[in-house]
Amino acid sequence: MSLTTSQAIYVSRLGRGMLGFVALVAAVLAAICIGETPIPVTTVLQTLANKILGSAYPLDPIEMGIIWNYRMPRAIIAACCGSGLAISGLVLQSLLRNALADPYLLGISAGASTGAVAVTVAGFGAGVISTSLGAFVGAVAAFLFVAALARAAGGGVTLQGTGQIILAGIAGSQLFNALTSFVVTKSANAEQARAVMFWLLGSLSGARWPDVWLAVPIAVIGLFACFWYARALDAFAFGAESASSLGINVRQVQVVLIGLTALVTAVMVSIVGSIGFVGLVIPHAARFLVGVRHGRLGPTTALIGAAFLIAADVISRTIIPGQVLPIGVITALVGAPAFALILLRGRRRQ
Amino acid sequence: MTVSRLALAAASFAFLTTAASAEPTQYPLTLENCGETLTFQEAPTSTVTVGQAATEVLYALGLGDKVAGTSVWFNEVLPEFKEVNDKIERLADNDPSFESVVAKKPELVTVQFIWHVGPDGIVATRTQFHDVGIPTYVQPADCVAKDNTVGIDGTRSELFSTAAIHLGVQELAQIFDIQDKGDVVVASLTERENAAIEGAKALNLNDVSAVFWFSSAEMGIDPYVAGRKGAPAYMMDKLGIKNIIESDEEWPVVGWETIAKANPTLIVIAKMDRRRFPADDYEKKLEFLKSDPVASQMDAVKNNRIVVMDAHAMDATIRTINGLEVLSQSLKDFGLAK
Repeated sequence: MSLTTSQAIYVSRLGRGMLGFVALVAAVLAAICIGETPIPVTTVLQTLANKILGSAYPLDPIEMGIIWNYRMPRAIIAACCGSGLAISGLVLQSLLRNALADPYLLGISAGASTGAVAVTVAGFGAGVISTSLGAFVGAVAAFLFVAALARAAGGGVTLQGTGQIILAGIAGSQLFNALTSFVVTKSANAEQARAVMFWLLGSLSGARWPDVWLAVPIAVIGLFACFWYARALDAFAFGAESASSLGINVRQVQVVLIGLTALVTAVMVSIVGSIGFVGLVIPHAARFLVGVRHGRLGPTTALIGAAFLIAADVISRTIIPGQVLPIGVITALVGAPAFALILLRGRRRQ
Repeated sequence: MTVSRLALAAASFAFLTTAASAEPTQYPLTLENCGETLTFQEAPTSTVTVGQAATEVLYALGLGDKVAGTSVWFNEVLPEFKEVNDKIERLADNDPSFESVVAKKPELVTVQFIWHVGPDGIVATRTQFHDVGIPTYVQPADCVAKDNTVGIDGTRSELFSTAAIHLGVQELAQIFDIQDKGDVVVASLTERENAAIEGAKALNLNDVSAVFWFSSAEMGIDPYVAGRKGAPAYMMDKLGIKNIIESDEEWPVVGWETIAKANPTLIVIAKMDRRRFPADDYEKKLEFLKSDPVASQMDAVKNNRIVVMDAHAMDATIRTINGLEVLSQSLKDFGLAK
C-alpha cells in the first residue's frame, strides 16, 4: 500500500515530531545524569525507579535528593523556560514584524528586577510577598506601563506601525532599570560588588518542584496560543493591514498575544531571572529549519528552545569544574555564533 | 569574649606600667601601600574613613578624635567603640561621594576595600585623591597577596593570614606616631588568636569539615561560599577544619549539589544587617537548611551543627579574630572532641 502525497507529508511530520520529542526526553535524561558532582548512571536510574515506579532501591538520601529534587525540576524548568521564551520571541517577532524583537522588549526583565529589589531591599510586602511574586508584579507593572505608553503614543496595538511599542519598551526598560538602581543605591547597608543582580543574569539553580507546577502550565499555554493563532500569525507576515483584509481581527489578536507573551515571560523571569538570547535566536533557528508557517514553526521553536536551554544549563554546570557559570553567559556564547551562522546561510540562500 | 577583653585590659595595663618600648616615628615617613608609595612629612591631624573595618582599626588605636568622618557601614560598630563613634559624622551609610570626603579636608583617607579607590574606584581613584594632596591608605588585608582584578571580590594568591591585619594596625600606628599603642593592639589580637587555636587543638579534631555560607542572590539558588584562601579559610586552617570548597576566589558561587554531596561536619552562616537578598537574613538561611529536601539531609543540619557568625568577621578585618573565637567555641560546644 502506498501513501498519498499528503499522507506521506503527514507521516514525515509525525516522524519529525517524534524525533523532536525523543530529543527532548534525551536532553532531560542527560541533564539529570550530568551535574556538578559525579553520580553513577545506575544511581540515577534507580532514583527514577524509586520515585516513579515505586521501587525501593536502597540509596543515599543526599544523592537521591540531588537527582530528584535538584536536577529533575531544574531540567523541567529549563525546558519550560526555553520553550516559553522562544515562543514569546517568535510571536513578538511575527506580530511586530521585527526580526530583533525579543521577550524582554516589553520592559519585563527590567520590571522584574525592580519588583524583586522592592521586596528584598525596600521591604515592600512586609515579608509576606516572596521575591518571585515581587518580580512577577514588577514585570506586569512594567508591561502595563509600556503598553499604555505605546497606546497613548498612538501606535503599538493598532493597524499602523509597530515602532511605538518598541520605543515604549525601551523607555519602560530604562525607567525601571533606573528605579532598581535608585532603590539599591538608597538602601541603608553598605554593599559589596559581589551583588550582581541575579535578575539580570538568570540562574536555574534555585529551581524546585513547586516552580515546576507553575512553569509547565504556562509553557503549555504559550505553545497552545501560538498554535491557536498560527494562521493569524502567518497573515501578519504581510503586515497588519493585509492580515485585516484576510478577515483577521487584528486588534484582538495583538492584544491577546502580546498579553500572553508578557504573561509567559513574566512568569519565567520570576522563576529563573532574565536569561537572554533564547527568545531572540531560537525562533530564527526554527524558521531556518522548517520555514515560516506558524503551524510547524511554533512546536519546532518550542522544542528547540527547550532542548537548547537544557543543554546550555548542562554546559554551564560542567564547563568549569567546581564552578557554575551564569546560564546567560552560555546562551550568548553558543547563541551568538549560531545566530551568525544562520545569518550567513540565509544570505547565501538569497 | 570576656576573656579577650580582660586580656586586652591586661595588655593595656602592662603598657601603661612599663616604659614605652617602641621607637617614635621618624618623619618624613615613606611606606609602600597596595602598589603606591606614600610619604608623610608629619602625622596626619585628621582622617576620613571609607570602610567600617578601617574605621574600627583607627578606633582600636585610640585615634577616634582624629576621625573627621566615616562611611561604608556593614553593621553596628563594635560595642566598645559606640561611644567614640556616636560623636563622629557619618558621611554616608554606603559609598561616600568624592566631594563629601574631600570637603572634610582630611590629611589621610583610610580605606578598607581597594575597590572603593582602585583603578575603577567607585568613590574615586587613589590618583584623584593624591592630586588634591590627600594620601590614601588601604588596609593591606585587601591587597597583600591578592589580585583584585580577578573575580568579583578579588582572588588571593596565598592563604590569608592575620599578619596582613597586624600590618594594617602597625602601619597606621606608624603613620600617626603611636607605635606603642599599635604594639599593644597587635599583641592583644595575637594573644586572642593563639588562645582560640589552642582551644581547638585541645579537642584533637579528626576529619572535621565545614562550609561558610555568606548569602545567596535568591533563596535556594547557588550560594556565595568562602573560597579556600580568604579569612574563613584561614580560620578553618588554623583550627584544623577542612574547607569543602576548592576555589581561590574570595566568595565563589558553588551549587548546593556540591555542598550537599561533600556533606560538611558543620555549616557557618553569616549574620548581617544588609538586606539586599532574602538570604542575607540568617534566619532565612536556617529556614532553608531545615526545609530544603536535600540540604536538610546533611549531617550538619540533622545534628544542628550550624554556627551563626558576624559577616564582617568573615572579611579580612580585626573582627576575623572574633570569628575565630566563635568557631573555636562552637567546635567545643558541638562536642566534636575526640
